[in-house]
Amino acid sequence: MSTVAPPEAGQLTRDQLLEAYRVMRTIREFEERLHTEFATGEIPGFVHLYAGEEAIAAGVCAHLRSDDYVASTHRGHGHAIAKGCDVKAMMAEIYGRHTGLCHGKGGSMHIADLEKGMLGANGIVGGGPPLVCGVGLTARVKQTDQVAVSFTGDGGSNQGTFLESLNLAACWNLPCVFVIEDNGYAESTPPAFHQAGVDVAKRADGFGLPGVEVDGFDFFAVSEAAGEAVRRARSGAGASLLVCKVMRYYGHFEGDQQTYRGPVEVEELRAKRDCLDAFARRVTEAGVLEESDLTEIDAAARALLDEAVEEAKAGPDPSTDEVLSDVYVKY
Amino acid sequence: MAQDSRVGIVANPASGRDIRRLVAGASVFGNADKAGIVLRVMAGLGAAGVRRALMMPAFDGLSAALERQLHAHESAERHHNAAPLPDLEVLPMPLTGTAADSVRAVELMRAAGASVIVVLGGDGTHRVVAKACGDVPLCALSTGTNNAFPEVREGTVAGLAAGLVATGRAGGGALRRELALAVELGDREPELALIDVILSAEPFTGARALWRGSGVNELFVACANPSAVGFSSIAGLLEPLPRAAGRGLHVRLTDDPARAELVLRVPLAPGLVAPVGVAGFRTLELGEEVAAAPGSGCVAFDGEREIERRPGKRVTVRLVPGPLTIDVDAVMRHAARVGATRLRE
Amino acid sequence: MAREITYQTAINEALAQEMERDPTVVVFGEDVAGGMEAPGEDDAWGGVLGVTKGLYHKYPGRVLDTPISESAYVGAAAGAAASGLRPVAELMFVDFMGVCLDQIFNQAAKFRYMFGGKAKTPMVIRTMWGAGIRAASQHSQALYPIFTHIPGLKVALPATPYDAKGLLIAAIRDDDPVIFFEHKVLYDTKGDVPEEPYALPFGEANIVREGGDVTVVALGRMVSFAQEAAEALAGEGIDCEIIDPRTTSPLDEDTILESVENTGRLVVVDEASPRCGMASDIAARVAQEAFADLKAAPRMVTAPHTPVPFSPVLEDAYVPTAESIAAAVRETAGSGAPAPA
Repeated sequence: MSTVAPPEAGQLTRDQLLEAYRVMRTIREFEERLHTEFATGEIPGFVHLYAGEEAIAAGVCAHLRSDDYVASTHRGHGHAIAKGCDVKAMMAEIYGRHTGLCHGKGGSMHIADLEKGMLGANGIVGGGPPLVCGVGLTARVKQTDQVAVSFTGDGGSNQGTFLESLNLAACWNLPCVFVIEDNGYAESTPPAFHQAGVDVAKRADGFGLPGVEVDGFDFFAVSEAAGEAVRRARSGAGASLLVCKVMRYYGHFEGDQQTYRGPVEVEELRAKRDCLDAFARRVTEAGVLEESDLTEIDAAARALLDEAVEEAKAGPDPSTDEVLSDVYVKY
Repeated sequence: MAQDSRVGIVANPASGRDIRRLVAGASVFGNADKAGIVLRVMAGLGAAGVRRALMMPAFDGLSAALERQLHAHESAERHHNAAPLPDLEVLPMPLTGTAADSVRAVELMRAAGASVIVVLGGDGTHRVVAKACGDVPLCALSTGTNNAFPEVREGTVAGLAAGLVATGRAGGGALRRELALAVELGDREPELALIDVILSAEPFTGARALWRGSGVNELFVACANPSAVGFSSIAGLLEPLPRAAGRGLHVRLTDDPARAELVLRVPLAPGLVAPVGVAGFRTLELGEEVAAAPGSGCVAFDGEREIERRPGKRVTVRLVPGPLTIDVDAVMRHAARVGATRLRE
Repeated sequence: MAREITYQTAINEALAQEMERDPTVVVFGEDVAGGMEAPGEDDAWGGVLGVTKGLYHKYPGRVLDTPISESAYVGAAAGAAASGLRPVAELMFVDFMGVCLDQIFNQAAKFRYMFGGKAKTPMVIRTMWGAGIRAASQHSQALYPIFTHIPGLKVALPATPYDAKGLLIAAIRDDDPVIFFEHKVLYDTKGDVPEEPYALPFGEANIVREGGDVTVVALGRMVSFAQEAAEALAGEGIDCEIIDPRTTSPLDEDTILESVENTGRLVVVDEASPRCGMASDIAARVAQEAFADLKAAPRMVTAPHTPVPFSPVLEDAYVPTAESIAAAVRETAGSGAPAPA
């Protein structure tokens, strides 16, 4: 986690803006690099890339402390990076190395670091929301002002676990924020087909919770809304639902041919809606940051990823004894 | 004539879900609710003899909700003696998911000869429609959060009134010419606001809706309704001006208690009454161009931060004639007087 | 100081004593207090059969009724455990596990392993099991084999009030997720239970009766049925050794193998249905590890491969009895007619 304090209401300092850009650029480099490396066939298993959605992870996590928790999805690299997980250890984990964040035991879909409050990427759609209800309960019982945030997709917003969690969080007045990342497709199916009402923000109303919808490509929109939601939770006023509308650049999984998408859909998104381009343009036009500040960050992110991939490729495999380790604390 | 009359319906799926749900007491206006209103409007239009309604293709759940409700309406016995609903035609246009869709839809409705456009939305939606509608009268129905421009009006009667206007049976006093604010910012296309223009110190548009009382420098209003909710209420509580007054107000605001001539407590958003410092105010005459104080930040139109104003960019505001809107009460009074709703034997 | 209390009271006492000792222990589930926001008593039920009665008043803020949303609150138990609490969540009937199974076997059970040893999930799920009160198919099952099968979970099934208190205290103190099975028919049974708190270690079987002829491994309610059978068989000159594993995960294989080494004969009695159950698990492990010691094929006494029937006559025919246990022992011992099918 960075040492930059979360933004106060309505204000974003220079440091906070730099941090936001750093987080988004690091996620973008990570995912683009993974896309390239995965195509070589060297990476085992499944990866699900977050490229395009960076503004959401950055905009929400900017308001979280290291003792706040997030629960993520199978598309979890962005949340992990935004919550402060070690980038090199994450890459090593995806390569299945002993030096990985989970010692190679979890892989891309189970990247976690409880010390950083990252409850894990999750291979089960809808797995996160009940977990954050639990963290909310911990905060309530221990009387802290910690906050727990779950990230779920548009697909996951139909899972019973999500709806039950809204109900439970409302009944128990838990300090939770439920973020829905509507990225245009649940696997290959758009919300127009899989979502009755297509009005996820309105679902919160049914549980007496506020539901807000923002443009997920716009860091500032996400940050402002998330800031209010986190503030509300931290103050003991309860849970809320934040729906961020965005589109993912890559497929559901790497290898997905994406034949369900329009022929120039992603090209146009990258050209017209890219969250990093928009952020850079706006902060430089407003005179708050210089272009050189940003290119410096770009270079640093690229260098970090180069190192991460190199070290991951060269990293040691776990020994086969480790198959048997850490099933229990003590058996 | 009645056979040919066409009415456009603009229902913005995106309104009513912004941050004011979180920071003030607003509730979410869902797609099913909006679809219900569209259905009722269509019932009114049909009863007035309008045979064709034009809508933009709705993404999100609005069209699905509307289809379901239309189907239920057709099957319901109690509607069997009623006049048929107008045929609903979907305009052939691609969707971008932005405000440009509403603009395009209105352009197509005008080109197709729509004689009235019914709008369901908040101030923001109406603002976008007003930019493109020319002299096609609007029936302005509220489904947004701060309803300074459109009214909260039951859809069936609104549809009836709109239909009477569309079929030429509404009488002379049916339409009102609203005022608007034309805003020029450097080399950008000029913008139009229907209620207010606000210069805010916030550098970024953020979650759009403007709800914080601090950091707001200047306010221009086209009408000053003391009963409004939103920033225009500042003007309304300083010097109430009815819509017919033909004047607006220009208010300078301040967060510095030393510079404030007075401090007002105003309803800035549903559930939110906050103090605002007023440094001074003056009348805005029709046609008078006023330059906003130099500075940077956001320019908000009708309560939504829309444009990030860069340092050095000049902003001018002018009170101008705006769109025509339908005075539903006047239409219905006229209808009663001339028997427009009596069925022929 | 021991005194005679019921199985149910022993469980209540374990919860109360652990909640007293450790402020991070919280209890939640459907109606664990009962009657929240209703006009009558707070703590109106104290659990559907009264097992948690009284805790709500003693530990305010730490006994919470839940909506009927197992997937949310069992998932919450996992999240709470991973973030510093020691939750004891109640799954009212184990038959309901279907609606929260993911949270148990994909989330809680796997956190520690998937996260490279960097998580611990000290949660307990207390749940009712067992046939015998005519509650029919969806409220009478014995589903511990399914949880036993999952690496990362621990499973305890006390047969007596003494075991109930000791195993529950151990479960709460355990840093791993434990599924704690309470047999609903055993709630009213009485036994000697020490007043002070004590923890019984997991993976340590209880030798209920010593004997040299046949090893009878019995679970839960079947322990007392096996004892009944053993009394009858003693009269016939067959001396049974009865072993109650107490926990199926971890399983005390050593005690069972030592016994079979001595007796050469094994009968496993389990009220659960026969396929992929504890009976087949234990029989197979013994067959592999102690084949040379076996003088006869291991025999399994279980319910039939059917749902639990409702009508009393049918339910009584479904559950193994002392007679069916004795018949299996006789068969293993080489005497008597083959055990009934």
